[in-house]
Amino acid sequence: MTTSRPARPRLVQPELAARVPALRYATAIVLGLGAITAVAIVVQAVALADLVDRSLLHHDSLNTVRPELIVLGGTVVARAVLTYVGEWVATRTAASVVTVLRRQLVAHALALGPQWLAGERPGELSLTATRGLHSLHAYFQRYLPQAAMAAVVPIMLLAWVATQDWLSLLVALALVAAIPVTMIYFGREATKRTERQWRRLGSLAGRFLQLIEGLPTLRAFGREEQGRREVMASTESVRVATMRTLRVAFLSALSMDLIAGFGVGFVAMVLGLRLLWGELSLQTAMAVLLVAPEIFIPLRRAGAEFHASTEGQAAADRVLEVLSLPAPSSQSSAMTATGGPPARRAAALRISQLHVEYADRSTAALAGFSLDVPAGTRVALVGPSGSGKSTVLAAVLGFVNPTSGTMRVDGVAASDMALADWRSQFSWLPQRPYLFTASLAENVRLGHGTASAAALDDIIDAVGLRELVSHLPQGVDTLLGPDGLTLSAGERQRVALARALLRPAPILLLDEPTSSLDPDTAAQVAEAIEPWLAERTVVVAAHEPVLLHGFDAVVQVAASAVAPS
Amino acid sequence: MKPIRRVLAEPGTPHGRLALAGLLGLASAAATIGLLAGSGYVIGRAALRPGLDALVGILAAVEVVAFLRGPLRYAERLVGHDATLRGLARWRVWLYDCLTPRVPAALAGWRSGDLLSRAIDDVETLQDLYLRTLLPMGIAVGAAGLGLVVVGLILPWAALALGLPLVVACLVPPLIAIAGGRHDQAAELTGALSAHVVDAIHGAPDLLAFGADGAMLDRVSALSDQVNELERRQAKRIAQATVLVQLCLGAALVAVLATAVSAVHGHHLDPVMVAVLPLTVLATFEPIPSILQAATRAQAVQAAARRLFDLSAVPEPVRDAVTTQTFPGGVPAVTFAQASLRYGPDLPLALRDIDLRLEPGARIAVTGSSGAGKSSLINALLRFWPLESGSLEVGGTSVDLLRQADVRASAALVDQRAQLFAGTLRSNITLGRPDATDDEIEHAIAAAQLGDWVAALPAGLDTQVGDNGVSVSGGERRRVAVARALLAGGSILVLDEPTSGLDTPLADQLIDDVLAAAGERSVLLITHRAAEAQRCPTVVALRDGRVV
Repeated sequence: MTTSRPARPRLVQPELAARVPALRYATAIVLGLGAITAVAIVVQAVALADLVDRSLLHHDSLNTVRPELIVLGGTVVARAVLTYVGEWVATRTAASVVTVLRRQLVAHALALGPQWLAGERPGELSLTATRGLHSLHAYFQRYLPQAAMAAVVPIMLLAWVATQDWLSLLVALALVAAIPVTMIYFGREATKRTERQWRRLGSLAGRFLQLIEGLPTLRAFGREEQGRREVMASTESVRVATMRTLRVAFLSALSMDLIAGFGVGFVAMVLGLRLLWGELSLQTAMAVLLVAPEIFIPLRRAGAEFHASTEGQAAADRVLEVLSLPAPSSQSSAMTATGGPPARRAAALRISQLHVEYADRSTAALAGFSLDVPAGTRVALVGPSGSGKSTVLAAVLGFVNPTSGTMRVDGVAASDMALADWRSQFSWLPQRPYLFTASLAENVRLGHGTASAAALDDIIDAVGLRELVSHLPQGVDTLLGPDGLTLSAGERQRVALARALLRPAPILLLDEPTSSLDPDTAAQVAEAIEPWLAERTVVVAAHEPVLLHGFDAVVQVAASAVAPS
Repeated sequence: MKPIRRVLAEPGTPHGRLALAGLLGLASAAATIGLLAGSGYVIGRAALRPGLDALVGILAAVEVVAFLRGPLRYAERLVGHDATLRGLARWRVWLYDCLTPRVPAALAGWRSGDLLSRAIDDVETLQDLYLRTLLPMGIAVGAAGLGLVVVGLILPWAALALGLPLVVACLVPPLIAIAGGRHDQAAELTGALSAHVVDAIHGAPDLLAFGADGAMLDRVSALSDQVNELERRQAKRIAQATVLVQLCLGAALVAVLATAVSAVHGHHLDPVMVAVLPLTVLATFEPIPSILQAATRAQAVQAAARRLFDLSAVPEPVRDAVTTQTFPGGVPAVTFAQASLRYGPDLPLALRDIDLRLEPGARIAVTGSSGAGKSSLINALLRFWPLESGSLEVGGTSVDLLRQADVRASAALVDQRAQLFAGTLRSNITLGRPDATDDEIEHAIAAAQLGDWVAALPAGLDTQVGDNGVSVSGGERRRVAVARALLAGGSILVLDEPTSGLDTPLADQLIDDVLAAAGERSVLLITHRAAEAQRCPTVVALRDGRVV
């Protein structure tokens, strides 16, 4: 899914480092560790070469080469310690970056508000926040340390080779220089092909999921065999298409392997010939030979781990993109919500000359809408679908920013309050209420976490959920959501109604409160919730006045024109 | 490792290709040993100044293996991936075959959406068994054996000095890497984190309106920390294991060199071999770290395989009787008599003593809230689940004596989801009757009131629908499902919440159209909306599995 990004290796995006300061130190540390590792490699090679020289040419005894053996053992231990420290730093960094970015992303998405979220694909965003950011672990734990090694170790080793034998240096340099060239060539070729292929692969994989999901339908129509054949056919096309992609994608690894292989082979030949002609000492030749593969190993590993990095990088890019969007200033206080909601008491809502425009629509959703709801009264907002009833509620709740107009509660304007405080004056029954992966009780208590068990019981009775709850093995503590209980539309609406009524806010906003209830039930519920409406201001938005009797006013909402009755 | 052995024992495992990939990988590892050992020999020999002739042969050999290593590895990768993808194909069909007799009823308790995506993920994970577990382990162990033989041929004592650290490096680090690896816990935490993030983003309006956004954010952070902590512990174990491999390499290097130096000093060994042996040791250890990743993957594969086998262990709810009766023609009557149904011994009855008769051509609406037993009625009628007691007769014959396929063919289902499959509109409508003539298709489309919509599509019936096709609105999708059911030829039309998610005017129109199009067929309409049920002359209300 991420192959369309240009394959530009870089250690850490500067924007990322700016957000997570720990990242700068981490990068410096892994680079430093790389430099020390390079020194250890050289010391190890020289000690080993010295030892080979003494034994091969002089047949020295074990006792006389003991210092070299000790140095050799010491460097092995040193390199092991360096590896461990590097992994430790990488893991720490990964954990802090992932946590910071995840929290910032979710917080910022909430601060950007429902209107922004409506224009995004929420599934993609949650995937970025979960699986996408999780793959940053692979980026920091596997790719970053290898990339840091690749950035430091080969250069330092080449510099050392330069002090030993210029011809070996030339051979190694030529091969190292070939890496970016082949990588660019194969990389570009592979990217072009994989991009085309991934799109096909995605749809083929989706095909399998769809056939599995549709199995009950296929069975009902006696078409299981056809589905089976399609599974086989689509999987076979996936295999053929994938193999075609891989034949190209693996070419860059092949070129890397070839370069590394010849890196050792050619250096061995050069060293052998120069030794033969007496231009080098055995000690030097052996040390250079031992160092030669170490020049290519970090490059190969970084290349191999590069794919592990792309998904995490793409996720980080997406997070940075979201974070760079300016949150509406009025919304930035959403995080500072303090205390519980205010006590239940009626309040007056006055809206005057409200204009709302949506970016994707040519006509205004609301043009000069005014509404006066005195404290303790009940007002119905009626009109056909699309007339702007929900827009009025969205504006009141601060989900859309009106282009002009004012909203006041008991005389205090929305613009003079922190948004969270403004919102705390309202309770809301949305048209499509969202139920959270939590218990039924937690869902009802969403706006009033400290509500007593007795109040919870009362409200469940009032909205007619008692029968449902009495059949649940764990009663109100039953988990809702994908792993728990699935509710029907009517039951969801009642849960949401209970949630809205339980919150002790002075003004209730009910959007199509009976759309999923049959008339008899609606009448029962209306009766039962009456005590919960006492002393409160109620606004009901619907295509006709529903749920309650005795509206104090019925206000007709029509797009772009408003005629109060 | 029992589930893994069972995976390998399943017919269709590409053993031959896997073996070929393993051999290619081993050959590549052998080339690495040859390259490094050969290079060491070149240097050691050249130091003794034997003249160019003595070196030419070995120099050429070194360059050949230097070249061969890459292509061998490339071939191994391709063959290994091909084998893996063939194995994946095999396991996808396995999953399909496993689910077919068990959906929807037998697996309903498993929360279908989650179950499906997990099963599909598990099948994907099985790929790793070949590519990231067996192959790297086999190649690393093979290379270790090869290196040991080479060293042993040069100096038997050195083989001992290499062997001990090598065996430790092969066995202990993988055990460290997988120690305490609790995949279930990690999966559970990751699942909880995903659920909360999804809640936070999808439920943003509700959270903001109710001032609950801060609390949700804190919960997401806390879960994120817990997931990170697990990840950190896992990384720590891998780091420890990696360090142990390095230390084993160091021990092997020092021990082999000490043995070699002593042997040269005692004139038991060609001095040139002192240059060859350390490089051989280095080459032998090169593939060992891949065992670590393989060991951790093996854990995941095992968990996935176990879950899949658990799935296949769920008994098939309905099997055809040994001798079956032929199905009567015409529109059969459906009779439930004292019918009870239960999904498991510990679960409450989903249907209790149901008496219900659907006369040929009758229209009956069944209402009730969720859990009242509406879908159980369909599961029984379509033979997705057997009755526990009582009887169900179709056309006067007990369904136990009929073939499942015949019973299903006598019914035509409009399911709740109105599932469309990738393909043309035509293939979706003719799902139940692929040999339908154009006239018959036209007729079904007209009856489902889809004529105008189809006519307005540029490609008409050949329009692609499904994932990459045109978007089909909820109302149109349901009408396609209706046309499909009308065309299928079953004479008992079963409508399972055919209007869920539709607005009231659209829903009423659809029900009226379907009832009009049903003609002589019997109709069983399942709905939770009382207003919709009123459109049928007979309404049966269910509560707690009983008719009330």
